[in-house]
Amino acid sequence: MIVPTEDWQVIGLSLRVAFFCVLCSLPPGVFLGWLLARREFPGKILLDGLCHLPLVLPPVVTGYLLLVLCGRRGVFGGFLESIGLQLAFDWKGAVVASAVVGFPLMLRSVRLGIEGVDPRLERVARTLGCGPMRTFFTVTLRLAAPGVLAGALLAFARSLGEFGATIIFVSNIEGQTRTIPLAIYTFLNQPDGDSAALRLVVVSVVVSLVALAGSEWASRRARRR
Amino acid sequence: MLELRISHRLNDFTLNVDVQCRYQATAIFGPSGAGKTTLMNMIAGLVRPDEGQIVIDDEVLFSSDAGIDLPPERRRIGYVFQDDLLFPHLSVEENLRFGLARTPLAQRRFEVDLVVELLEISSLLGRRPQYLSGGERQRVALGRALLASPRLLLMDEPLASLDQGLKSRIIPYLRHIRSDLGIPILYVSHSVAEILELTGQVIILDRGRAVAHGDFFRIAHEAEVLPLIEAQGFENVLPVEVVSSDAGAGVTHVRYGEQALKIPYCDRPAGSRLFAGIRADDIILARERVEGLSVRNTLEGRVLEISDVESKELVYVDVGHRLAAKVTHEAVAALGLQVGDRIYCLIKTHSIRIGPEME
Repeated sequence: MIVPTEDWQVIGLSLRVAFFCVLCSLPPGVFLGWLLARREFPGKILLDGLCHLPLVLPPVVTGYLLLVLCGRRGVFGGFLESIGLQLAFDWKGAVVASAVVGFPLMLRSVRLGIEGVDPRLERVARTLGCGPMRTFFTVTLRLAAPGVLAGALLAFARSLGEFGATIIFVSNIEGQTRTIPLAIYTFLNQPDGDSAALRLVVVSVVVSLVALAGSEWASRRARRR
Repeated sequence: MLELRISHRLNDFTLNVDVQCRYQATAIFGPSGAGKTTLMNMIAGLVRPDEGQIVIDDEVLFSSDAGIDLPPERRRIGYVFQDDLLFPHLSVEENLRFGLARTPLAQRRFEVDLVVELLEISSLLGRRPQYLSGGERQRVALGRALLASPRLLLMDEPLASLDQGLKSRIIPYLRHIRSDLGIPILYVSHSVAEILELTGQVIILDRGRAVAHGDFFRIAHEAEVLPLIEAQGFENVLPVEVVSSDAGAGVTHVRYGEQALKIPYCDRPAGSRLFAGIRADDIILARERVEGLSVRNTLEGRVLEISDVESKELVYVDVGHRLAAKVTHEAVAALGLQVGDRIYCLIKTHSIRIGPEME
């Protein structure tokens, strides 16, 4: 099957958005996953609920809320513009949309991973001379790696499939925000777009399978090491 | 020297301890829920006491008055837990080197080779913890703690998850650490026999309070201590030397000071020195030498002391060493026992438990 250049553009954009989505949600995902797994504090349930909200909200609603909050005329729109970060109609906006939607999946997986680490191992590490940060990276995170990896994969996959929040928040602009799902949607709305849509469907399946295989390989390595 | 002055409340439990340990090895003995593990966690810096002070060799680790609370990684206190808690993602060697790598060169006291040799774990170095047996894992955990060059080693029931056979094989290693490496040990256990193989110095903890502290045989009969020890089954631990063994007769002849004893047959060469355990309940006292009984052992001695605790009498008899026998008030009265009386202790061969070898 020959993949035309405009498809490559769509695929490239999708992968870039998904990659940055994982990159941006990983640090807060790991931090909040640790916080929820290991610490008790007032408002924990509220924070937990807030983090999981995008999982239960229709993505379209999430997209709309993003628009209200971070759109050009949104609550933080002025602030974002002042630091030179324009999200609306930009691929960076697509990253934000898919990161928010995929975040609960990442968080759950990381949290489970960290909860699965015996906290006494961390105590042993402390008595052996490791400070709290070092203990976190050499013991906790290292042992939670399969969970973190699975979370990253889920966020990646969710980002590749993101449609509703993206189209509401950053619209459907060729070369900027038209990721694979949006391109398929666009093709299907054209009178002769069926074959082009099918091509992207196949691409989508292949990309997903490769990502799945990659994460399986990585998590096996993590378990073995 | 370790000085502990701690007061800590947790829900309706209060921990109140004020003791000083000067010895190479001190054991903390007490029933479960007495606060033993909490106390250890406080010394290690894993739990912060409400109030008090923890000082080791004149260095203040914790002081609520001075606002000092060193984090665990700066206390240099080794901690061996009931479960070995080896890092599952590291090999045995990497586990061993974990603490070593974080110990400044100037503070390092042991080479990896020395510890590996001492604990006999050289064949395990490349393996993963999950492929080791319980005893091997606990030895590696011990080595890992040692290689961080601690100035004090805390051991919280390190043998509790091992069976009797493995226990007796680990204890000699602990004695090595205490005597040869010169690392003070604070050892938590609820087994008197286990403690006495390591040290005679004990702190008795009950419901958060140090009820007694000092030489085990001196404090064992105190009113607050005896019931706790009895609850675990009071045990006399005698150092004996193997004279000869007779597999056919099922006995091993040992020498206990001047006296001869028959213990259940064990496959140890003549001249080896080991510990034998006898529960105080299992000793029968007699005024005269008795014949015609199946009991194989008769130890002659003098009554050293008769202590009266909760309607039971603990009679201490000097048979070369102190031997405690538990009898009823009535028995003491009927025999008319007095301190200084000549007395015979009858001990069935099969009430003698064979302990580990001494070094």
